Amino acid sequence: MTTANSAQTEGPSASLQAASLEFRQATKRYDGADRPAVNELSLEVPAGEICVLVGPSGCGKTTAMRMVNRMIDITSGDILVGGESVRDRDEADLRRHVGYVIQQIGLFPHRTIAENIATVPKLLGWDKRRTAARVDELLDLIGLPAEMGGRYPAQLSGGQRQRVGVARALAADPPVMLMDEPFGAIDPINRERLQNEFLRLQAELRKTIVFVTHDIDEAIKMGDRIAVMQEGGHLAQYAPPAELLMHPANPFVEDFVGADRALKRLALQRVRDVDLWTAPLVHAGDPAPEARAKLAAAEVPYALLVDDGDRPLGWLSERALAGEQVSAELSSDPEPVVELDDILRDALSDLLAHEVQYGPVVDHQGRVVGVLSIELLSHAIAEEPEGG
Amino acid sequence: MIELVFAQLQRRDRSGGDCVADNGICPDWIADNFDRYLDPFWQHVYLTLVSVAIGFAIAFALALLAHRRRWLAPPITQVTGILYTLPSVAVFFLLLPLTGRGNTTAIIALVAYSLLILFRNFMAGFDNVPDESKDAGRGMGLSYRQLLWQVELPLALPEIMAGLRIAVTTTVGLTALVFLAGAGGLGEALFADINFRSNVLVAGGLAVLLAVVLDLLILALQWALTPWMRARA
Repeated sequence: MTTANSAQTEGPSASLQAASLEFRQATKRYDGADRPAVNELSLEVPAGEICVLVGPSGCGKTTAMRMVNRMIDITSGDILVGGESVRDRDEADLRRHVGYVIQQIGLFPHRTIAENIATVPKLLGWDKRRTAARVDELLDLIGLPAEMGGRYPAQLSGGQRQRVGVARALAADPPVMLMDEPFGAIDPINRERLQNEFLRLQAELRKTIVFVTHDIDEAIKMGDRIAVMQEGGHLAQYAPPAELLMHPANPFVEDFVGADRALKRLALQRVRDVDLWTAPLVHAGDPAPEARAKLAAAEVPYALLVDDGDRPLGWLSERALAGEQVSAELSSDPEPVVELDDILRDALSDLLAHEVQYGPVVDHQGRVVGVLSIELLSHAIAEEPEGG
Repeated sequence: MIELVFAQLQRRDRSGGDCVADNGICPDWIADNFDRYLDPFWQHVYLTLVSVAIGFAIAFALALLAHRRRWLAPPITQVTGILYTLPSVAVFFLLLPLTGRGNTTAIIALVAYSLLILFRNFMAGFDNVPDESKDAGRGMGLSYRQLLWQVELPLALPEIMAGLRIAVTTTVGLTALVFLAGAGGLGEALFADINFRSNVLVAGGLAVLLAVVLDLLILALQWALTPWMRARA
């Protein structure tokens, strides 16, 4: 039936195929409530993508998520996981194949970290060796030393507990994951770290994820697609982040994404996504006429002095180019130096903080590859995004 | 009727020196007569353990019922509460015509007294299980039964054990009265010669010792069963 190899634990690269997820007019109506908690929600999440359900409290986002693993039963409509209706699945079996992470984490305080992670494999009847190997692999994946496996949850920090919560949900390699405000109880600095860690993990694992949050910034950061829900369990808009920010479907969404939605769009792009200006690079001792010609052809009104490794030294004054040879007479230092991988919003913030219009852009080696300007950034805000 | 009961108690014949004649505390007499107390002591242990064990089993069953059907908790608490407030002596005499003198009557009464304490602590234990652990457990596909045995009961252990300790201690005390139902125990030895200090000291002391030892045993059991309570960062 199975080969000996299949009993061995498999790495994340050998993950089960992610499943697509579809809400079909899924509705939840509680007895005695005058309007449904979730009202005919229809949306499709392609396999391997993160769909963020976002909205104010009481909009039904958590209810919608909990209908997927039948923690809350659907009143009408349907939800399909991998094309199969959750209504036809055995409740316990369905839940064992859908990863589940909640804000309060809900680790079992009386069980060690390793035992917590092994919860679902044990329910699925994995043998001891396979389970133990999987636990070690997951501890490694979330960056906890193996000896942490023997500790109890109370002995871990909040961030470590949250990582264990994610590892526990991943243990049996479920194709679909549900995450309810998973980073909501973490302080802002650690939250940012956990978000980045999780995005790196997801780039590798490619799970289909329903992610609930009330924080639009987190939604924009984490989501491949964002479903904005409004009171009464209505879906107001379902779109990729850039489109949501560019074209809010109605005043509610516009208001919810915030007056700074144009700035938020900058958070979706990196410096390397922009057509940078050419930098008029000159070295000390270069012939001045050549440097003047370079400067005349450039969009920037100043020449940039670089060293032998093309690393930026500073902007040159007009007098530096006046003689026969370029002298190292700087009008200002090169700050801020922007990196290609920087997020546009951070780059803009750098420029504003230094009260300048231009900043040299460098690659990993520190070599100048172009110039970023406030003007370029204002174009980036206004332009249609390319791709997702 | 009560005089009748006391009249049945045989005054022990005692012989010894002046100390004994003065009803004093006489080490020699205690050493010579200690074996007299062994049978009542073991009877006391037997009645206490059997009663608490039966009480624990009934309270556990009631708690499981009330855990599944929440509305049952208040009526169960009330009924066990009424049992708890009945004067023990009255219970003995009410039961005598039905179950006669002896262990059965004693155990029924002792069980009735332990129920309230045990039941309420079971419920308190269930209430203290973190909601998020239950939610995560259900969300990972634990069945009702798996959640109960693997998550809720272990996490309820501290309260359950606390209830057990109170139940055992009070039952040791109450068992000192069951001689009124003809079930013997250290109470019988105590009341047989209530004026003799040596007797009171040994019989009373053994009862206190029993309560302390049983309490410590349960504490040790709890310590062994809840390793996570000791693990702190």
